[in-house]
Amino acid sequence: MAPSTDSEFVTIVSNDGFEFIIPRSAACVSETFRLMLSSTNFPEGRTGRCVLEDYSGIVVEKICEYFCYNEKHKDQVNVADMDIPPELCLELLMAADFLNT
Amino acid sequence: MPGRSALTDYLASNNISAQQIRDDWDRRQAEAQRQPDQAEQESSNAAEESRSPSVLESPEDPVKKRKRQQAIARIKNSKEFAKRKARFNGDYDDEDDDDLALQIHEEKNRPQPGQLANCEICDKRFTVTPYSKAGPNGGLLCIDCSKKQKADEKKPPAKKRAPGIGRRQNQANLLDGLTPHGTQSLLETCIKKVADYIHDIEDFGDLPPSLLLRLGQILSRRRAVTSRTLDLFLRPQYTSIDLFDCAKLGTDDYHKILASMPRLTRVNLRFTTPLKDQILHYMMERDMEIKDLHLDGPNLVTDACWRQLFMKLGHRFLSLKLWNLDSAFDNETARVMCLHCPNLQRLKLKFLHKLDNDMLEGISTLKSLQHLSLRFLDETETQTEPLLKIISSIGPQLETLSLEEFYLADDRLLQHIHEHCRHLTKLRLTLNSTFTDKGLAAFFTDWSNPALTYVDLNSLRDVDMTNPAGPEEPIGLASDGFVALMEHSGSKIQHLNIASCRHISYKAFEQVFAEGKMYPNLKYLDISFSTVMDDYLARCIFRCCPALQRLVVFACFKIRDVHIPRGLALVGTVGATIKIDGITQTETI
Repeated sequence: MAPSTDSEFVTIVSNDGFEFIIPRSAACVSETFRLMLSSTNFPEGRTGRCVLEDYSGIVVEKICEYFCYNEKHKDQVNVADMDIPPELCLELLMAADFLNT
Repeated sequence: MPGRSALTDYLASNNISAQQIRDDWDRRQAEAQRQPDQAEQESSNAAEESRSPSVLESPEDPVKKRKRQQAIARIKNSKEFAKRKARFNGDYDDEDDDDLALQIHEEKNRPQPGQLANCEICDKRFTVTPYSKAGPNGGLLCIDCSKKQKADEKKPPAKKRAPGIGRRQNQANLLDGLTPHGTQSLLETCIKKVADYIHDIEDFGDLPPSLLLRLGQILSRRRAVTSRTLDLFLRPQYTSIDLFDCAKLGTDDYHKILASMPRLTRVNLRFTTPLKDQILHYMMERDMEIKDLHLDGPNLVTDACWRQLFMKLGHRFLSLKLWNLDSAFDNETARVMCLHCPNLQRLKLKFLHKLDNDMLEGISTLKSLQHLSLRFLDETETQTEPLLKIISSIGPQLETLSLEEFYLADDRLLQHIHEHCRHLTKLRLTLNSTFTDKGLAAFFTDWSNPALTYVDLNSLRDVDMTNPAGPEEPIGLASDGFVALMEHSGSKIQHLNIASCRHISYKAFEQVFAEGKMYPNLKYLDISFSTVMDDYLARCIFRCCPALQRLVVFACFKIRDVHIPRGLALVGTVGATIKIDGITQTETI
């Protein structure tokens, strides 16, 4: 199979099987994803598919939402913070720390 | 009375008659029935009569009528009446006076929310709510009619926000370290959110220490560290605790910290007013392995206790930082500290009221010391000689030297540092009006110490109100000193503060930030109160400092219109036009 590094999109998978397909550039906001995806030594780099074993679909959805939010607003000034539901914030905090975002 | 219900009994005991309530209800029902009929009659009647429907409501009894007239007379004397009257201009006579008074009276007697009323336009019966609209004749409208009425009214044009950005919010964000570009990191957003909901959180789970530290900072800033939130930070397995605002904690909470985190080696607590002797005694009893002790304001701890602490645990201390002590910690305690803490690598003593020159001698005996920060009170007469002794004995090993507010220290100190220090990376000499520019230039010229990374020389200047330009031979950091500093440290420097060094000339800035000069690591630059700074020099700075993240320019009023690079925070401009990547922002004041 051809290395996926040229594909424009990557797939993020949650531990309960939800798949989110987002632009590669958006996902690479996360330093962790960037390293995973940039090298063909990792399976993630070869397939363009990252599985987040520790996080459920709800959290992964929010993470992907942030990626897109960030991508959309990267050239704007004085951007408001993305809204995060309070019940998710601790889990998201751990995820953000893991993803280095 | 037989057959009376419990409710009727209760009402009677409170002087309420069920019978009367029922009668009133019947009467109101009957009246409501009658009203629509009357309205029909009215429309056929003369026009002037229809103007005051309440008059026709029922043949009034004289008492009611008199009361109403009294009310109207009162209204005529009221402020509101005068105000409304003033709104009319031109043709206005006594008859209008009566009408207006009647109108106000009716408005006041409008049904309260929850009661029923008849719509002024369609006569439909509806329940009054706080949102019910008033009709053209002062009565209330039903929902449908008020919707129609609203559609008729033209919406007032939306309030326009002035173009540009609010200075206050903008500067607040900049000082928080937010560059105005793009979104914040997810991490930072989440931490803020967690801080918002801290009172609903029962446990942090497995947050790593770095995140706990950041959360501690944000919560401290919001003054939200209390006994309850403290529990979230107590982790028996962690070896450090950092809380930057302990003002709301009680003595018991400090016990709790020490008791529930027995492996602590680093205790960093600020605003620790309720910390008492017993807490330090507890530390000694348990023989805790504290290596780093940073306390701000533990004013209830006595000298005797400090001395005991140093004798018992001093040998383990690697760093000691104390701020703001006014009732204890005198020179003798400092002597004991120097004697019993031989392994100290970092020592910071700031605003310790009882210390003065006499304690400086002890510091030269601390043979492991690498980082030294001292600041006495401004009324302390500081001398140069004891400082010279410190520098000559421990200067060679020092990596950080911070001497603030030593007003009278003179060029001999600079010479000593020049001679003895070989490993300095951070140098702070501030608030001094004795060093000369010549002395500073000589200090940085041919200094065998490698380039510094952190330099703070703010407020090195002559203070003479009658001679703002300063003496002929410049005092403080002026042109020559600044040029020599950048020659020496330009390649490595990351942080530079030269605020209030106001004798540095335009030419010197031009020379330092000339084309071809490059300061690749400079991230922070504070040039506040350098009044010569202007747009051109700002552009030169941006060109020479590609890594610059923050430029502080308070009171640099000649910076009016600048194009700042991405990722840079420009702090302290007033009313300047700021362009970021083609987006222009004009500050509103």
